[in-house]
Amino acid sequence: MDEKKYAKLEQSITPKPPILKNVIKAFLVGGTICLIAQFIALFYMTFFNFTERTASNPTVATMIFISMLLTGFGLYKKIGQLGGAGASVPITGFGNAVVSAAIEHKSEGYVLGVGGNIFKLAGSVILYGVFSAFLVALVKTILVKLGVVSW
Amino acid sequence: MTIRRLLPIFCIILLLSGCIPNEFTFENKSGEDSEKAKELIKKDDRIKGASALFYEDHLIVGIRVKTFDRFKKRKIAKELEKKLTKSYPDLAVLVSADSKILTETNKLILKGDEKGTKKKIHELISLTEEET
Repeated sequence: MDEKKYAKLEQSITPKPPILKNVIKAFLVGGTICLIAQFIALFYMTFFNFTERTASNPTVATMIFISMLLTGFGLYKKIGQLGGAGASVPITGFGNAVVSAAIEHKSEGYVLGVGGNIFKLAGSVILYGVFSAFLVALVKTILVKLGVVSW
Repeated sequence: MTIRRLLPIFCIILLLSGCIPNEFTFENKSGEDSEKAKELIKKDDRIKGASALFYEDHLIVGIRVKTFDRFKKRKIAKELEKKLTKSYPDLAVLVSADSKILTETNKLILKGDEKGTKKKIHELISLTEEET
């Protein structure tokens, strides 16, 4: 059996993922998470001195906090199973990644276990987030210096 | 009907209707003529709701723009602010498309409290200047 034959066989046996169904589920779950966040933002705007612009910071913090709690209680994995990318792409997925890594490595001790591995999954988010923010800021700075756009 | 059947219907009605009515409210507590502002704001068909408060030497306007114009709501607010500053050179004009400003201005108009208004307006101005 050569490589091509094997690939053909593998493709014929592998069950096809229900892409459309998964996409719809991810859309609904992600949309629900964002709807909850919208209500939290509205809460911060109504009862505290936040505008639409500044309310996003405490909202993000609250959503991360909620997802961390849910991860600790073991509920977030159920949402993740149902929603797939819809549960992991919003900021709640970041909280989930941090806390699940911390729980997983708790048995190895607090310093080398939790401390060393807590950003195992979320580290790439932080690294590439900072890096891409740096790149965007660099491009914008150059454009402003050249006088193409203003801040 | 049981509550289980009523609840989704209630939710759908709530979602479809939206909570805040889109209307134009104007309150004038200064010596200026507010008709010009009314005309300017109502002429712009991208704006579907506004509340404007003239108070002493301040004019504070909160606007709500149409859904698909929300992408450029800051630009719309800036344009309107420019126009209003032109027509009211004696007033310190603040126009914001932020819903916080709209609700707070509405609250100020409804309350009609003379003492706290000035302080509140200054608070709102400093709020709009806040960066994220």
